[in-house]
Amino acid sequence: MIGIVVVSHSASLAEAAVSLALEVAPPSSRPIVLAAGGVDGGLGTDAAAIAAALGEADSGDGVLVLVDLGSAVLSAEMACEFIDPDAAARVRISPAPLVEGLVAATVAAAIGGDLATCDAEARRGCEAKGEHLGAGSAEVDAGQAPSSGARVLELRIDLPHGLHARPAAAIASALAPFDAQVTLQNVTRGGDSTEADSPMGILALGVRQGDVVEATVDGPDADAAAAALQTLADAGFGES
Amino acid sequence: MTTVDLAQTQAWLADFAAAIHENAALLTDLDRQIGDADHGSNMDRGLTAVAALNADDFADTAAYLKKVGMTLVSTVGGASGPLYGTFFLRFAGALPAAADAAGLGAALRAGVEGVAARGRAEEGDKTMLDALAPALRAYDEAVGEGVRPALEAAAAAAATGRDATVPLVARKGRASYLGERSAGHQDPGATSATLLLESAARNLG
Repeated sequence: MIGIVVVSHSASLAEAAVSLALEVAPPSSRPIVLAAGGVDGGLGTDAAAIAAALGEADSGDGVLVLVDLGSAVLSAEMACEFIDPDAAARVRISPAPLVEGLVAATVAAAIGGDLATCDAEARRGCEAKGEHLGAGSAEVDAGQAPSSGARVLELRIDLPHGLHARPAAAIASALAPFDAQVTLQNVTRGGDSTEADSPMGILALGVRQGDVVEATVDGPDADAAAAALQTLADAGFGES
Repeated sequence: MTTVDLAQTQAWLADFAAAIHENAALLTDLDRQIGDADHGSNMDRGLTAVAALNADDFADTAAYLKKVGMTLVSTVGGASGPLYGTFFLRFAGALPAAADAAGLGAALRAGVEGVAARGRAEEGDKTMLDALAPALRAYDEAVGEGVRPALEAAAAAAATGRDATVPLVARKGRASYLGERSAGHQDPGATSATLLLESAARNLG
């Protein structure tokens, strides 16, 4: 599993962001390593402390670094020059906003996403907010047209808070073992469809209580994947 | 031929630390106008830690300057930490033993290029590079005259570059959030970078 490092000028900001992320992330999450705050408890970043955090976070699968702003970016880049070049090659500094990116990356990492996947999920971290506020989606999953053998499920979502981060992660996680392409669309509210392997894409559907989601399941494992999705939905997506 | 030694180098950093301390309020005030009002206090904290280093603990000038860079990285806190830290680390990496004017010029070039690469900045962005880049050019032009005259030319060029940041619109750093409103203010980074070169011209060579 990849490691995650949070670089912030403020230790309290970083700690709070991590609390928020772990609130929604599956329990399989690895600890998130912090490199935050200045020497005397004030605001600041420290490339040497970030380099140490990178070493602590890396289990060999790479590290995604979430940063706040300004010197956090420069110090994180400098830290990559302080560590072994092979380890540095496994580090990505995310351009995502800190809170949204951290939540997205934590969820993606916990369900086994590799470094590239977690990086991409973090970048999509703002999509749900953008959809809600009418800013539109930054990226539309074109996907392939389903084959004639595709299974279609209609799922009425009864969760009080709709499909938020935890159930979105549960869906992506439940479908991960199958060789199947699962596309979700909010038929109640319209909008773009999304691939179900992306928790951030699911969040961007903006599914609220009572909405109906249409799942199109295709591929060699379509039957098993559809059954797993139906079982998860019947169980309240693990929320009940 | 005059060369730069460890004692001179420590005197340079001690002088720079004193100049930063004397000008901390000015630097913070400049930063308050276009940034986040911490450049003076951040640099003062970092240089105070640098001034506490004992040059006798280091095998040579390059080792001492590497420690200077790492100290700034870990104590300054703001963007000046990685920027000045990079300057000294790259400077140290390129500094020959018993550096003459040409050797010091090579170190200065490595430091200035390191700052540009770290900040992805170029001249005209209203940053410390607006003092450092013209200083490097002036140094190179005067390098044949020896360390001290070349550094004096560099310090004068840095001051001219610093003054020329006043009308610029910031394109990097916190001041860039202000856009056009950053014009009319002298850049704090170019101001501290000029102090660095003025200290060098008083102590090296």
